[in-house]
Amino acid sequence: MKNFAKNNRYTVMLFVWMAAVLLFFTITKASTLWQVSTWQGIVMQFPEFGVMTIGVMFPFITGNIDMSFVALGDFATLIMAKYLNAHWVDGTSTGSPMGYIMTGILIAMIICIAGGIINGLLITKLGIPAVMATIAMQLVWQGLSIALTNGNTVSGLPELYTEIGHSNVLGFIPYPLFIFIIMAVIAGLLLKFTVFGEKLYMCGTNVKACHYSAINTDRVITVSFVLCAVWSCVGALLMVSTMASAKADYGTSYVMRVILILVLAGVLPDGGTGKIHDVVLSVIIVQIIGSGVNMFSNLNAYYANLIWGALLLLVLILSTKMGADGFHFKKKKAAKAA
Amino acid sequence: MAEEYLLQMSGICKSFAGVHALDHVNFHVRPGKVMCLAGENGCGKSTLVKIISGVYTRDEGKVVFEGNEITKITPAEATRLGIQVIYQDLSIFPNLTVMENLAINSEITDGRKIVNRKRWEETAKTALSKIDCKIDLYAKMGELSVADKQLVAICRALLFNAKLIIMDEPTTALTKREVEALFNTVRQLRDQGIAIMFISHKTEEIFEISDDVCIMRNGKNVFEGPTKDLTPRDFAYYMTGRELTDDHFIPKKISKEPVLKVEHLSAGRYYNDVSFELHKGEILGITGLLGSGRTELALSLFGLLKPTSGTINLRGRDVKIKSPMEAQKLKIGYVPEDRLTEGLCMAQSIADNIELASLKRISGNGFTLNHKKIFEDAATWVKKFSIATDDPHKYAQTLSGGNQQKIVLAKWLSNDLDVLILNGPTVGVDIGAKQDIHHLVHQLANDEGLAVIIISDDLSEVVENCSRVIVMKEGQIVGHLDADEVSEANILQIIH
Repeated sequence: MKNFAKNNRYTVMLFVWMAAVLLFFTITKASTLWQVSTWQGIVMQFPEFGVMTIGVMFPFITGNIDMSFVALGDFATLIMAKYLNAHWVDGTSTGSPMGYIMTGILIAMIICIAGGIINGLLITKLGIPAVMATIAMQLVWQGLSIALTNGNTVSGLPELYTEIGHSNVLGFIPYPLFIFIIMAVIAGLLLKFTVFGEKLYMCGTNVKACHYSAINTDRVITVSFVLCAVWSCVGALLMVSTMASAKADYGTSYVMRVILILVLAGVLPDGGTGKIHDVVLSVIIVQIIGSGVNMFSNLNAYYANLIWGALLLLVLILSTKMGADGFHFKKKKAAKAA
Repeated sequence: MAEEYLLQMSGICKSFAGVHALDHVNFHVRPGKVMCLAGENGCGKSTLVKIISGVYTRDEGKVVFEGNEITKITPAEATRLGIQVIYQDLSIFPNLTVMENLAINSEITDGRKIVNRKRWEETAKTALSKIDCKIDLYAKMGELSVADKQLVAICRALLFNAKLIIMDEPTTALTKREVEALFNTVRQLRDQGIAIMFISHKTEEIFEISDDVCIMRNGKNVFEGPTKDLTPRDFAYYMTGRELTDDHFIPKKISKEPVLKVEHLSAGRYYNDVSFELHKGEILGITGLLGSGRTELALSLFGLLKPTSGTINLRGRDVKIKSPMEAQKLKIGYVPEDRLTEGLCMAQSIADNIELASLKRISGNGFTLNHKKIFEDAATWVKKFSIATDDPHKYAQTLSGGNQQKIVLAKWLSNDLDVLILNGPTVGVDIGAKQDIHHLVHQLANDEGLAVIIISDDLSEVVENCSRVIVMKEGQIVGHLDADEVSEANILQIIH
């Protein structure tokens, strides 16, 4: 048990966080918090950015960052929406609806994979720092989306598709949650039980040493961005389904939220660390806080950002003290003593 | 001087979290003498220095400086007494000029608020003149060589009227020639009556420069006295606590056909027209000063630097090595110069580091990976190389330099290799581990018929381990010594 706590300091910390958050809202808003509808809302809302968070985890582990994933997902789903619109007039399709939807998703997926490859190549082959490269790509994708739609919403999507966001699997698991679970499990398996996962963590710790150990580090990093794009695509597809429309700026606030969640989960921007179950826990905590803040109906919605910001600061302070950084700091001291 | 000793320390104890870093250490420095503090990594040398300089407070023991007992040392007090420490990182400001680096301390201690260029220049000039050091006052500190930076750090120490200068492993990053220059400066200081405490674990240096030696092992001092009372053999014994045997490499079986043949290989400004052969079962030494192109040559053989002309022939076939991945496929392994940046993922486990280059083999199918297998395979290497750890799950950074180097070696030897290139295999490694590594390489060449290249500027290492030696200078091969000609004198003659 003691060993578990030592090896999973973030998991322990996150459970403490979750207990603290639940306790806080139980004290202040017990009646609203423990309603079924509140929890239905929570499990409906977190999957879209939750899936994206898991995606961004891949480049994070290699010590890189992706700022373009939301814009890329928006662009890809916009193209999909345009494609579906073209084959869908007044709710009737010109062919098999399922076939069109599948083709649409495939198109979105191909665009995202291409976007991921571009990110990877900019960073590995041209040596542009990941933050710079992906911020530039974010502007490119968003610019393309706006140019394509004049900033307007593209709606009129087939019901078969928009239903996904609101229906249940096996009658009780909301579809978005189901997809989130699948994407989390796949990511977890990739990270823990594949050669690629191992390389991802090693590259994040010391990319040069990995290159000197005959690992194709450029490929590992590029693949991490492609995976990020694929997961973001799934997130964006969910988003479009719940919104029943696509738009150039859906989910732009997710970029910062995703980074907050990852840091909270111990997926540190330096690379080499992070566990999937911590990220899932972190996603849920952040959603509970988000929903919790909304329960105060008399609270001005303009305070939401302030609360978020304060939380980020608190998380950073505490995780630096408790987390890997604090650990390193002690190590260095001990090394000097020797 | 009336006092026989400048600094006397007796019965010094210090523990960290219950572990004795220093256990009743006795230690004396005579004025105007060079005293060497020697010991393997982690024996407590740095702790002792930090107690002298006031960074740590001792738990027990007596310190007498110039006849006065000092009860409590603080860093400020140490400076006032005339104790100056030059740490390995030199504590300089790389973005400032030499002049600013020299003058800044006295400006601050004098509490001056306004910059006066003239006064700064004067302070800096006085400082440099103390050891007749000719360095451009306006050069940026970061652009100087390590040796010059060190001189500036020494000059800065002299500005505080230092009576005792402590140098923490000053020679680690220096070339042979720079070490000579540093030693001249040290002798100069000694003749001016300044006591020097020199921390090192290199045998030759200690015998060359020191008047007195104090050897530490596991937090205790095991020898203290004049250097002339000590033989190198005794020294090695005190350092490691075991008898070391002379272990020259004698090749048992050298293949007739060369496994690697390099012909007229050139790479731009790095090296030019290099040709040599390497046979199975032999150890070839490549030596030369820093910047002689020896590292770049190794990088080319490992696919990290593209040659501009010439051929590399491996097992009778011309090959182009474009990446470390291809080098690995061609059964070439490379242990890099800098463990920290090129060799290891410090914040990952020992096991993960050992298996880093053999993930494909561990996996079997190239996709799925069983972490238990990584651990089991790594455990066999930990045992085989006697890597000092109780648990391969621990981070690589928990190990000492020698054990870290063994990890890097294990990483490559767990691959099926024909050619192994070792670049500075024992830099920053203590004597005991150094011997282990050399022994291991001998075994590999003799028993498994590996062809080994050792690149090193540690001449005794080259002479002891290599059956043939190539000397490089300014990118070219300037000498080729066969087994019967290999000696330190011969190599030095070619280098200079």
